[in-house]
Amino acid sequence: MPKIHVVDVPEFSGLIECARGQEGVRVSETRKGYITISSDEELVFTRRGCGFKPALWYTCLSGGIDGSIREYGRDTLRIGEKVAG
Amino acid sequence: MLTNADAKVQGPAIETAVALKGVHHTARPTWKLKETVHFYRDVLELKLCHAICARGWGPDDHPDFIHFFFESGQGSTIAFFYYLQTAQPVDNVPQGSFVYNSVHTAWRVDTREELLAWKEKLEGKGFEVMQVPHEILESIYVTDPNGYAVEIAWQTRAMNAYDEVDARLTLEAAISIENETGDRVQAIDDIWKRKARMVDAYLAESE
Repeated sequence: MPKIHVVDVPEFSGLIECARGQEGVRVSETRKGYITISSDEELVFTRRGCGFKPALWYTCLSGGIDGSIREYGRDTLRIGEKVAG
Repeated sequence: MLTNADAKVQGPAIETAVALKGVHHTARPTWKLKETVHFYRDVLELKLCHAICARGWGPDDHPDFIHFFFESGQGSTIAFFYYLQTAQPVDNVPQGSFVYNSVHTAWRVDTREELLAWKEKLEGKGFEVMQVPHEILESIYVTDPNGYAVEIAWQTRAMNAYDEVDARLTLEAAISIENETGDRVQAIDDIWKRKARMVDAYLAESE
């Protein structure tokens, strides 16, 4: 189950909203400053969907990830189940 | 006159709080005197407010120099050293590279309108200006005649307690990887993965 933590600050709100709009994606309440996004399937975000400029896009995982990054290009981010080992 | 030994015995008469109160000056060397004065005084229109013109500075091998300052707001100044009879050393870090540009100072403005006004002013004087929206900063960059990156930045929001916790966990994650591997961190993913576990633990702690 891929999961990411996102700091609950205004600049990351686009990512949170993008997650809330996706079926099957769980978005927690804010707990001690962090919002946790998780899914039983792959987590997929697009930069345009988040409304992010490149600088913000490339820092949006800084809250931490539990999973494996399968794609993290200029426009698409895909995080899957973590790989054992 | 008190000696250091006396001071140790007597201790300070009054405890004075130790705190920093913002920037007094940043200082960098210059080998382009008139160009630097022109850029900071005439282009940026900062007041040339102080200069020291000195013969050496104590040690025999210290060259004579001019140390001059431009006002940069809130009591801060931008300072330069112009050393006489001193050749500019060859810099091992290529000018314009990201490592070279990492050594810079960002000067604060209060509003986005002010930031854009600076951009317009500099572009109007023929300078190339790069504008970048970061995380909590929106910045413009211009290169001075020395090749130094000058950043002017507007902070979009105040930093808060969440930022503080998150910064601590990020650095603890990276340092713990260094400690375990005995090496520098090799992959940003490793920090993010380590940090997720640390955030899990932090969230599991009682409030």
